[in-house]
Amino acid sequence: MSLHDWFIEPLSHGFMQRGLASALLLSVSGGLLGSVLVLRRMALMGDALAHSLLPGIAFAWLVIGRGPLALLTGALVAGLLTALGSALLSRLTRLKEDAAFGAFFLIAYAGGIALISQAGTRVDLLHFLFGHILGVGPADLWLSVGAAGITVLLFALLQRGIVLEIFDPIFARAAGFRGGWFHLGFLALAVLNLVAALQTMGVILALGLFLLPAATAYLWCDRFRSMLLLAALIGMAGSTAGLLISYHTGLSSGPAIVLSLGVAFLASALGSPRYGLVHALQLAWRERRAVRHTAD
Amino acid sequence: MHAHPHHHDIFRLHDVTVHYGRRCALDHITTQIPCGGLVALVGPNGAGKSTLLRSLLGWLPLTSGEIRLGDHHPRHLHPRLTYVPQRAEVEWDFPISVREVVAQGRWPALGLFGRFQPSDDALVDRALDELELTPLASEQIRRLSGGQQQRMFLARAVAQGADIFLLDEPFNGLDLSATAELIHLLQGWQAQGRTVIAAIHDLTLARAHFPHAVLLDTHLVAAGPTPETLSDANLELAYRHRLPVLGARP
Repeated sequence: MSLHDWFIEPLSHGFMQRGLASALLLSVSGGLLGSVLVLRRMALMGDALAHSLLPGIAFAWLVIGRGPLALLTGALVAGLLTALGSALLSRLTRLKEDAAFGAFFLIAYAGGIALISQAGTRVDLLHFLFGHILGVGPADLWLSVGAAGITVLLFALLQRGIVLEIFDPIFARAAGFRGGWFHLGFLALAVLNLVAALQTMGVILALGLFLLPAATAYLWCDRFRSMLLLAALIGMAGSTAGLLISYHTGLSSGPAIVLSLGVAFLASALGSPRYGLVHALQLAWRERRAVRHTAD
Repeated sequence: MHAHPHHHDIFRLHDVTVHYGRRCALDHITTQIPCGGLVALVGPNGAGKSTLLRSLLGWLPLTSGEIRLGDHHPRHLHPRLTYVPQRAEVEWDFPISVREVVAQGRWPALGLFGRFQPSDDALVDRALDELELTPLASEQIRRLSGGQQQRMFLARAVAQGADIFLLDEPFNGLDLSATAELIHLLQGWQAQGRTVIAAIHDLTLARAHFPHAVLLDTHLVAAGPTPETLSDANLELAYRHRLPVLGARP
């Protein structure tokens, strides 16, 4: 197979162009959001949130319509209900936030699957769960443009507030930055981007486009801005590779992209010169030898 | 461009009560805390030391009473008044350099959007220099020692242009030499007329280095010059409901 067959030919199709453009845009906003998820230790909660969108999306699809606006509305309602419900439970009962969130997302997820199975052949469950590159229509592309644009704009404007909210929330209050908007605003942004990524990535793996590039970048960077930039670049490279693999092998686009990003993540987790596993093991080994020598 | 120290300033607390839900954290505190020196907030765990610090910052809704510095509500004392967090309260693996943290001291004045001017950079450089952090400026913050981490937060407060520093347990987790270093530094600040109000649980440190003390046990037990405030009788009053704490009594 020639270079042309691998890289150029796939992009002659409109759906591939739209899919790739959408994935590249969402790689940028996903890198930003993912970095916050990683630094705030909200990675698993983000995953739960993504799963809990399913019933809202399925309900919208079956009852309201298939346009991105309908899906977005359904997803927003489902996501906010999950977040508010678990916040309420964890504040007012003895349940902690992780248990409350876990319970809610499982119920929501099961409800979503039930809804979709009830609808029979009208909807392909696999497409919802794992992404379907053929499904990216012009309206979905516009949603990606909007989601990425709003996210980048907010990050550019509110960078100081975001840094303090993660790094030192008490000083954020002392500096007069109001933190109340942060949690809910972040959640709404995440839902917006998850819905935009839905067609390409699927519900289950949508968060992969956010989380993996950010976690990878975190293993390399010692500055917030360089982490955001690297996360976006990794996301773009991984989603391009994943889409091409998906095109040539017939693998769903969601898993293909996540696996491509996974290669970069695992390589970094092993080999990052400062924060990789190999380096940590070398250090531990040297330390043990030093201790033994001193003991002798 | 340090804010001018105001030796005559006095924090006046009148009938200050704070509740968290139903729990009373501060119970009708009336006292005065003079500025221009080192002040120790002392008391057993849960006595309301951190609560009092946050009240002095003007962040907590008071159930009753009021706090004033001169004629001002504490919230209007920017940038003179600043809070230095416990080291455990921040995310040390955050990808950020020492200089970037110290530069955050300018953010309250600049807000979300204000651009850094050369004068802001100069203030940051001077703060780094004063706290002897210039050689470490571009390090990621996890690589600092405990004492250096504490100095980084003090430098951020200095860059802010503060002259009243509220410190929450600044000696926690510091080894002997770092403790001595911090004491030396705070004494230098005292000589410059800066004010340090620190929550401290180590009575020996408070006695040795803090001329003024406030002894709390939810309510005010005593306040004033440290030797009288931390007398045996007062300490017994403050700690009587608690299990004996090793080292809490001389």
